[in-house]
Amino acid sequence: MLFDFIIKAILAAFFLGGVLNLAGLLTWVERKQSAVMQDRIGANRARIEFKSWFLAPINWVLAPLNALGLFHSLADAAKMFLKEDFMPKGADKFLHTAAPVISVVFALLAFSAIPFGNVLYLKNHAINLQIADINAGILFVFAMMSLGVYGVILAGFASNSNYAYLGGMRAASQMLSYEITMGISIMGIVLHYGTMNLQDIVRHQSTHWGFMVQPLAFLLFMTAALAETKRVPFDLPEGESEVIGYFVEYSGMKFGMFFLTDLVETVLVACLVTTFFFGGWQVPFLAPDGFHMPWGAFYLVPSKLIAVLGILSFMFKVAFFNWLFMAIRWTLPRFRYDQLMHLGWKILFPLSLLNTLITSIIVVLRK
Amino acid sequence: MANITIDGKQVTVKDGITIIEAIDQVKTELPRYCYHPGLSIAGNCRICQVEVEKMPRTVIACNTRVAEGMVIHTQSAKAKESQQVVLEFLLANHPLDCPVCDQAGECKLQDYYMDYGLYDSKFNEQKVKKTKKAVSIGPTIMLDQERCILCSRCVRFGDEITKTHDFGIFNRGDHAELNIYPGQELNNKYSGNVADICPVGALTDKDFRFKMRVWYLGSQESVCPGCSRGCNIKVEYEKSRPYHLKNERVMRLKPRENMDVNKWWMCDEGRYAYKSIDQNRIQKLISKENGVSSEISWQKALEKIAGLLKNAKPSSWAVLASPQYTNEELHLKKKLFKDQLKWTHIAFYAPGQEGSEDNFLIKKDKNPNSAGAAQILNLNGAADMTPVIEKAKRGELEGLIIFGHDLEKIYGAETLKLIRQKVKTIIYEGTNNNPTSAVADMVLPGVSYAEKEGTFTNFEGRVQRIRKAVEPIPGTLPTWDFLLNLSGLLGLSYKALRPEHIFEDLAKDNQAFQDLNYKKIGHQGMVWNKK
Amino acid sequence: MATKLMKRQELSFWDRTYLPSIGLGLWITSRHFFYNLMIHALHTVGLFKHIRGSVTYQYPEEQRPLSKRLRSRHRLTKREDGAPRCVACMMCETVCPARCINIVAKENPDPNIEKMPASFDLDLGMCVFCGFCVEVCPEDAIRMDTHILDIAAYSREGMKLDMQKLLNPTTSPSDPNRN
Repeated sequence: MLFDFIIKAILAAFFLGGVLNLAGLLTWVERKQSAVMQDRIGANRARIEFKSWFLAPINWVLAPLNALGLFHSLADAAKMFLKEDFMPKGADKFLHTAAPVISVVFALLAFSAIPFGNVLYLKNHAINLQIADINAGILFVFAMMSLGVYGVILAGFASNSNYAYLGGMRAASQMLSYEITMGISIMGIVLHYGTMNLQDIVRHQSTHWGFMVQPLAFLLFMTAALAETKRVPFDLPEGESEVIGYFVEYSGMKFGMFFLTDLVETVLVACLVTTFFFGGWQVPFLAPDGFHMPWGAFYLVPSKLIAVLGILSFMFKVAFFNWLFMAIRWTLPRFRYDQLMHLGWKILFPLSLLNTLITSIIVVLRK
Repeated sequence: MANITIDGKQVTVKDGITIIEAIDQVKTELPRYCYHPGLSIAGNCRICQVEVEKMPRTVIACNTRVAEGMVIHTQSAKAKESQQVVLEFLLANHPLDCPVCDQAGECKLQDYYMDYGLYDSKFNEQKVKKTKKAVSIGPTIMLDQERCILCSRCVRFGDEITKTHDFGIFNRGDHAELNIYPGQELNNKYSGNVADICPVGALTDKDFRFKMRVWYLGSQESVCPGCSRGCNIKVEYEKSRPYHLKNERVMRLKPRENMDVNKWWMCDEGRYAYKSIDQNRIQKLISKENGVSSEISWQKALEKIAGLLKNAKPSSWAVLASPQYTNEELHLKKKLFKDQLKWTHIAFYAPGQEGSEDNFLIKKDKNPNSAGAAQILNLNGAADMTPVIEKAKRGELEGLIIFGHDLEKIYGAETLKLIRQKVKTIIYEGTNNNPTSAVADMVLPGVSYAEKEGTFTNFEGRVQRIRKAVEPIPGTLPTWDFLLNLSGLLGLSYKALRPEHIFEDLAKDNQAFQDLNYKKIGHQGMVWNKK
Repeated sequence: MATKLMKRQELSFWDRTYLPSIGLGLWITSRHFFYNLMIHALHTVGLFKHIRGSVTYQYPEEQRPLSKRLRSRHRLTKREDGAPRCVACMMCETVCPARCINIVAKENPDPNIEKMPASFDLDLGMCVFCGFCVEVCPEDAIRMDTHILDIAAYSREGMKLDMQKLLNPTTSPSDPNRN
């Protein structure tokens, strides 16, 4: 019992650390990727250097990191922590403080149901590489994402500012609208695999990944999930050029937490898309005993290596989707609010219903 | 009378006048350099070409007399071409000096080039260099022979107006140049006028030289306060470049045409007397108490003076009014000191201050409003200040209010010292610092004629307006405003907001000013009703 | 005014899904991304240095090549003897839309020049760099060809240039004595 507990704690720490670091790294990725996409160089002026000669070797190590501008993320964090934590006059102190915490906590909780690897066998112990093996994992993830709306609404509500309130309402209606599409579009996957357990869903994708059997659902889910992250082209709650969003009255690390939530959600959405449609930790042609190539070749692989390959595969896919989301964020312009609602309710929602219907018919007929 | 047609307009003009006079009567534009209504006709610049129907060639308008049935075109193609060709010749030897020329901006060559010239240069030849450039030819005028177009206006001015025969045109043809006679210098009382009448930058004013470009100047009509002639002038002041010459606002005075007073001219004495507007001004209201002088506010000063005057015995105080002040201000003085306070010692005439006089413009009375002061204050021959001064010297006066007079200049330093010892309170109101203001118990800063509205009455009873050109220096108050406030404190309920209102009251009050008002006085002034 | 009715272009089915356009957009941005990434990667190993991976300049270390016609900080040109060419005609002061030029004129001892500036003050804090002063100058006395761009000062007074500074512009930004 204690052993299981320790194992879970290690897994949680491993995953959470990975997610948070990735989210932090995304601020750097965002800067650099947009810069390279736009023929620029990007932020590269934050640097750490030591003056004394005996620390020169460290400088030598730091030099490439300096050149890449990696320390901008650190500088950002330092700035966030050092800035004045401003509370507007008439704001609800408790809710104002609670809102960003709620946002970030629920976004992080959702990760606990996501499997990032297959079962790892370690000295007679079968360790499921998943923090919480919930048999209705999809529902749990969706529940956590829905609760994230509270953070946004409370932020708008507790700030005692019309602009923040407007931003909060926009964010809430946007998230609710797209959550419905998201939930229904994923029904296709659930019907097809007949389970709500995320680990099982991933295992079912050993040969055919989700996007091959449910291409429409993949598109719908990805669009809705992007909208869920509230980033360009769906950044209306933030709407920098007009309402300035639900966190307009936030500063310092509280603002930083909202900012972090956005990036954590991006990672989360990348994880979900990977899990549902891109085979999670599955490696192409890799069965639990080794590679079965389509031309008949077979390479034996030790089971521990297979588990590691699975984790790497999962990480690679998540990284790819993060890159793709960034590329989309820096390619497309923002929607107008009526276009957003039109897309959500009149296009994505009916299409997701249709997708569910057709999938249901096929599933029933196959039986 | 002759019936003629100018540019399609039928007009009837007097017989025997020239075409250019007829054209000026109908206010049509026609270029001219040598023609000046105040001078004889020379007809040597040739620019005023007009086309007269049935004449083979264009003629010069300044030297052709009108005849019955003449049809004149000033803007026809033929006339315009003639004007352009003449202009081209006039500019043949003219240097491209405009950047350094003070005349630029009010230069007729520039103006007419833009209006009538606009040709491309056809000259390959070198311009003929004249000998003198930027040479001082007298205390007021600089000569630049290169810029001269030989219109001979200045020559005729010296010959006909001042009779001093200063200028001549020497040599012939291309080499003709304007100069003063050898060994002489241009030094007469009206020399500044040649810079005004010079249509180009050949004769420029030394005093104004390089001070400011003319397009930065604002202009306001006024009347010269230099003598009782009351020459009509324009006060030209900087309007937008205060950093150019710090603390100097009025840049120059120019004569304004008034056929009944000064025609087109003014004397040098008046022309260069504007400096007192910006120099040595009293800017602070100073009050001396027990030998300690301190700056106080107008409100406090008015209350203090009102307190003094309320308790004053009418026979123990005296007021020295001044003919340097406007009719309106003198009227207020009369109202307050004579009618309300019933003071007996009122005088304005300063003896022994006459200056030179000639039979043209300059009068020996150097006050602009002596006639007005005598009429308004109505002192029956008791205008002379000397009896009051004598009384003060004997110590029979308790207080003395002096408007603008410098007693040291009139009666000498000894007298001023004696008065200072004998008279308990001396209140001085004026614009500039002088020995009298230095010893006064209270010094009230007034404003100069360029900073206030009002009227002056010249020696022949012509009432003429002065207008505000520049804002008063902060801290100073126009005398009429000060007197109005003081009257209010002394129980004289007098309703007026502007000098115009005071003048209306004056017109009601005084026979001589009856039926006059600011509108009637207008730009050229009006003679009063005194018979 | 005549009204012209423009018919809105009908969108096809694929247009309305936005997917082809999104794909095209992503294609363009990704192409730039990978191309530039490759160039940057090659630069780190010292290859293809002549191809730029970005269009931006790393400013203080890397100066941008400036056009000859660029309007930069003003200077006053000199005669052979070092006196300013300016004759204080005040054309620049008159034309200046920002009123940043103040000239006070004085007499030049040479009667053929006649006039010269006693002081020529230019407030760079007010200047809008329109170049009208250069255009209007009849003597070619003021130019904006110093290529000094990094104009900054700690006070408003520091932004003001007098005649000496205008006559002797220092061109090197690293010069500590530059004005």
